[in-house]
Amino acid sequence: SSGPSRWSHCRKRGIDGSLRSHSDEDGDDGHSDSRNSSFTTPESAAPVSRCGRQSDWGSQVEDEEMRQDVHRDMQRSLFEGCHYYLLFVDVICPLFRYRRRILGSEVNQRERKTSSGSSGSCDSREGENMETDEAVLMRRQKQISYGKNTLAYDRYIKEVPKHMRQPGVHPKTPNKFRKYSRRSWDQQIKLWRVKLHAWDPPAGCSQEHTLSDNIEELDLDDIVDIELDFPSLAESQNAPSSLVVHSSAA
Amino acid sequence: MENCSEDYRIQSFDVDTQKLLKTALKDPSSVNLEKVSNILVDQSLKDSLFSKEAGRICYTIVQAEAKQNNGTVFRRHLLNRLQQEFKEREETRKRSLQGWVSYVTFICNIFDYLKVNNMPMVALVLPVYDCLMRLAQPDALLNEEEVDCLVLQLHRIGEQLEKVNSQRMDELFFLLRDGFLLQEGLTSMARLLLLEVLEFRAGGWMLSSTAHKYYYSEIAD
Repeated sequence: SSGPSRWSHCRKRGIDGSLRSHSDEDGDDGHSDSRNSSFTTPESAAPVSRCGRQSDWGSQVEDEEMRQDVHRDMQRSLFEGCHYYLLFVDVICPLFRYRRRILGSEVNQRERKTSSGSSGSCDSREGENMETDEAVLMRRQKQISYGKNTLAYDRYIKEVPKHMRQPGVHPKTPNKFRKYSRRSWDQQIKLWRVKLHAWDPPAGCSQEHTLSDNIEELDLDDIVDIELDFPSLAESQNAPSSLVVHSSAA
Repeated sequence: MENCSEDYRIQSFDVDTQKLLKTALKDPSSVNLEKVSNILVDQSLKDSLFSKEAGRICYTIVQAEAKQNNGTVFRRHLLNRLQQEFKEREETRKRSLQGWVSYVTFICNIFDYLKVNNMPMVALVLPVYDCLMRLAQPDALLNEEEVDCLVLQLHRIGEQLEKVNSQRMDELFFLLRDGFLLQEGLTSMARLLLLEVLEFRAGGWMLSSTAHKYYYSEIAD
């Protein structure tokens, strides 16, 4: 295979899905290493034939699995969007109480803002403004998974715990449930990937890679952080500054 | 998880292969999973007894790999091998009836064990139906081996298959009725098997107790 690109050593898994060792001997798929991985937003995790959809059973089953995961995420996201969730987390975890306070004030803010018609701040909590097109969600999820399937991401989430993350400074995973144009979304993904590269392991170093949790699943923190993602609030002067703990999802 | 090798019937393999398989069950990322999947598929195509429960060891390896590192390498290789063999099934059938029957047994067993979020794998549904339809063709019904395989699979996975695609199940049973009624040269055992499976499905994928008595009781001489 041709020489590895600058970024190939940062990818945790090879093209065929198997975990890479730090000394990358994954030479059977020539394509993986010559690609400039940071600026590609591939439709799938493996080389796709020009005919489009993969017809091999292995890929079909993986797609099926991802589709189900996306649907599950969507249901959770919709569920979490309703106010009952706030009561729920309040009861099970006192840590969330401060988030509830923020969300409480945000709800009031949002209601006042309904007439502003700002197209940028789509509220993913409202079912109507959510992206629900399965094909779009699948594509976006693949792009996100591709970015999370990197050593950089693993190092980032270990190094910067959620409550320490500052908006603008630390990369934040784009929210696939929000409505964005294709261009806008692809741009966000690119910027996110570029920011993540700051956590790339130094080239040529040998390191024991320990896996983080299931990166495909949306964990509870991510869901709550999606709730908190109100860019209008972050920029607005009305935001109670002491309470804007913008613990962004990575 | 302690699983004795007897559960997976790996005694038919040589010692080194048994060791490899045991390692694959415990520590999948440390072995060549493509090689392991080929070993299991090859054996299933040869050994009809093995193919009957080969799904179980495959399932365990899939789970182990998913748990260990979220990997799907083994599953992917397994499925693509299955697909390859599926494409060549007609040649396989011509070459070796036993090999063909073993293949069908194996793919049905995989369908049974390997689920995605507790649902059958959509990618396998039509191929499984294609295999069963092939077994219901007139030339196949003449072979008791094939009829036996067909009814066995319907007993094991018929209900699940019908849930995911009832239309094709209807089509299959049209063939079975025709075969039972019209096919010349069927052995009486073949006809008995077909009649039983017709009743089995008609009874909602179970036999009434009287029917069970008819088909499965010992007959006093």
